[in-house]
Amino acid sequence: MLDFFTIFSKGGIVLWCFQGAGVSESFTGPVNALIRSVILQERGGNNSFTHEALSLKYKLDNEFELIFVVGFQKILTLTYVDKFIDDVQLHFRDRYKNELVQKGALKLLNNTFDFEDRFKKLLREAEETSKARSPAPMRSFKESEKSQKTVKSMIETKGGDKSKEQAGKKNKNTKKEGKQSGCLYFICILFIMMIFTTHSKSPKPQKPKEKANRVWDNAGSSTKNLDYSSKNGEASPGEDQKNLEAQFDPVSSPWSEPSESGGFGGMFGMLKGLVGSKSLSREDMEPVLEKMRDHLIAKNVAADISSQLCESVAKKLEGKVMGTFTTVASTVKQALQDSLVQILQPKRRVDILRDVMEAQSQRRPFVVTFCGVNGVGKSTNLAKISYWLIENGFSVLIAACDTFRAGAVEQLRTHQRRLNSLHPPEKHGGRPVVQLYEKGYGKDAAGIAMEAIAYARNQAFDVVLVDTAGRMQDNAPLMTALAKLIAVNMPDLVLFVGEALVGNEAVDQLVKFNQALADHSMSDKPRLIDGIVLTKFDTIDDKVGAAISMTYITGQPIVFVGTGQTYNDLRSLNARAVVGALMKA
Amino acid sequence: MTDNPLEAYSESLRQQLEEQDPVVLVGVIVALAVVVITCVFLKYFLTSKTVRSAVLLVGLCDSGKTLLFIRLLSGKFKRTQTSITDSSAPYKAKNDRNCTWTLIDLPGHDSLRSQYLEKFKSAAKAIVFVVDSAIFQKEVRDVAEFLYMLLTDPVVYRIAPTLLVVCNKQDVAMAKSAKLIQQQLEKELNTLRVTRSAALSAQDGSVGGSLYLGKKGKDFEFSQLPMKVEFLECSARGSKGKDGDGDIESLEKSLAKL
Repeated sequence: MLDFFTIFSKGGIVLWCFQGAGVSESFTGPVNALIRSVILQERGGNNSFTHEALSLKYKLDNEFELIFVVGFQKILTLTYVDKFIDDVQLHFRDRYKNELVQKGALKLLNNTFDFEDRFKKLLREAEETSKARSPAPMRSFKESEKSQKTVKSMIETKGGDKSKEQAGKKNKNTKKEGKQSGCLYFICILFIMMIFTTHSKSPKPQKPKEKANRVWDNAGSSTKNLDYSSKNGEASPGEDQKNLEAQFDPVSSPWSEPSESGGFGGMFGMLKGLVGSKSLSREDMEPVLEKMRDHLIAKNVAADISSQLCESVAKKLEGKVMGTFTTVASTVKQALQDSLVQILQPKRRVDILRDVMEAQSQRRPFVVTFCGVNGVGKSTNLAKISYWLIENGFSVLIAACDTFRAGAVEQLRTHQRRLNSLHPPEKHGGRPVVQLYEKGYGKDAAGIAMEAIAYARNQAFDVVLVDTAGRMQDNAPLMTALAKLIAVNMPDLVLFVGEALVGNEAVDQLVKFNQALADHSMSDKPRLIDGIVLTKFDTIDDKVGAAISMTYITGQPIVFVGTGQTYNDLRSLNARAVVGALMKA
Repeated sequence: MTDNPLEAYSESLRQQLEEQDPVVLVGVIVALAVVVITCVFLKYFLTSKTVRSAVLLVGLCDSGKTLLFIRLLSGKFKRTQTSITDSSAPYKAKNDRNCTWTLIDLPGHDSLRSQYLEKFKSAAKAIVFVVDSAIFQKEVRDVAEFLYMLLTDPVVYRIAPTLLVVCNKQDVAMAKSAKLIQQQLEKELNTLRVTRSAALSAQDGSVGGSLYLGKKGKDFEFSQLPMKVEFLECSARGSKGKDGDGDIESLEKSLAKL
């Protein structure tokens, strides 16, 4: 019933694979999709993934750098898959430990891993255990206890005349048993009697259970123990300490053991932890991960993203063998740093100037749309970006699609005038480098955008920058209007403008914006957010967590970083510097 | 006036030294000599050149690096998936000198490639840049961007390893030839020089890649680079698929010439 099962190394070499009967498609595509969306984007918290009609589950083996992936049809609900993967992993490791232990790909290449029979056996066992646990069939009435009891035993003797009446009725009815109506009558009487007996069962002869005083495990028997007024000075610290120790004992027992065996043993224990190959387990990593999670939250990364990140790092490190002289803390920190850099690196090419040139060669304008909530700096950063584009020799048309906020059009007109004075038309072939396309206030934004793009195409402008009104992500009609603007005009780049000061809100904003864009688009490949502009970066010193939250949620790169209010304050993101600031204590 | 304190001081110093035990004096001199010799040794060891014996396999995702790696090492065909870490193995070049290089296969995914390149670029003797010839037309800008990033890296520029651009997947019917790929890449890199130098600086002030490729004023050509560049055609999968051999003779010959 499984579609496929593969075992491959983290370097990409498939060691062994199994394809279910009747499955002809190659599994390379779905597994690659799994790797790219889950493992590489650090969403390794839950280990299942759906791709078209297939559902994939995976398990990482960090000691030997292997990945185990199983795929089955999404509509089937197979309960044995999780345990099955664990079993297969254990068996494979045990059998091929010698080949896998050596680092270096040669051993992997030269061996043919003959795992077929073992695998089939495990699969059969797993399927059988799942079948064995199917629910037992219901017992028939003849097998139940109730059929053994007589009617008389079920009747309570409390209402004696009632029972006599019923018995009398029953006697009368037994004479009529042969007849159909009599049979029906008999069944009715039986039903009534059963109802009576259930009622009469409630005042049982035995005493009802009284309310018993609840006893807590750690509580004493009397309240006298809670009176600490006499033991104020000397005894209470000792008692408190004892209580604390009693609480902390299970947690600190692995640490307290070496110290109890004497200072000598304690030193050896620490040294043994430093040198030698020890494999990481969840319990070792847990305290360090807690600290890292709190550290990330303190640096303004959204709370659930921090926990998802820590979970994914734990999955990546579980079972890994540490080198000599590396502590658990340093390994976890290094892994977390690597995954943060990985998240911030763009997953596609980010080169706006090259794309504008490409659109120029195709004789069409390059359309960029800015969207975001109120007050994040859309219009300011739009002006900065147009300054940058003009400096590189492109002509820009600004479309004022913010028809709601008072002064929005005037603001853009002021920017246009300033930019034109900085780059006078005489120097650029007699025509102004920046023009504003506006239709006043109160009109439909999508219509203005469409007209602006048509105008730009006619007048051969290189770039069209569309400024939209700020809107809260919960405001459904405005989100619909934005989605309509984007779906109708199909811009080349949809930029979400977010400020660096935002905290957990970033997650909500981005999710709802993306959802609105996906829901209201007519095509089956909706235009979602393509890039992020991170503004007001100069107001945070090193609490740069918003960058992580935004890139993690959307998977899209941060294209621009706004660091001030003048035209020159536009930067690009340096992933390493941001992660360095994030991990700094 | 200043002479007198100095003279008096040197006099007192000389007196003190003569009063000391000669053994202690010898001990002090030996200690100083040991310190000096250690410093000299450290300097010698630290500035010794790292031996560069690695051949890196880089390229975009799905260009066939891992399969090429497998073919070069063992000649067999194995299925591959997207790599998420590097794989390395020693490779014996097929020449008379019998030199052994370390063949390293780096992941091509966008988020991983810069990390792994950072790790291995200083030890590179040669870089094998694998290009998917079948879908080259669609990916030409991505290929050029990666190549640009590689060529303008200061460490790579300083070391100037041999660059072998391998046009893989020649078994597919629509594969472009090496000559065409070279021309397209030169044109694209020409444009990239302009756009990349106009790119924004990073938020902490660092400006990436300030090197200018090739010569100013002239169109970019691969012959203008300080390193040796060669364009090759090969097919890792081979014309017969999994049963036959891969068609990698030209690559092996070039690796033998290193």
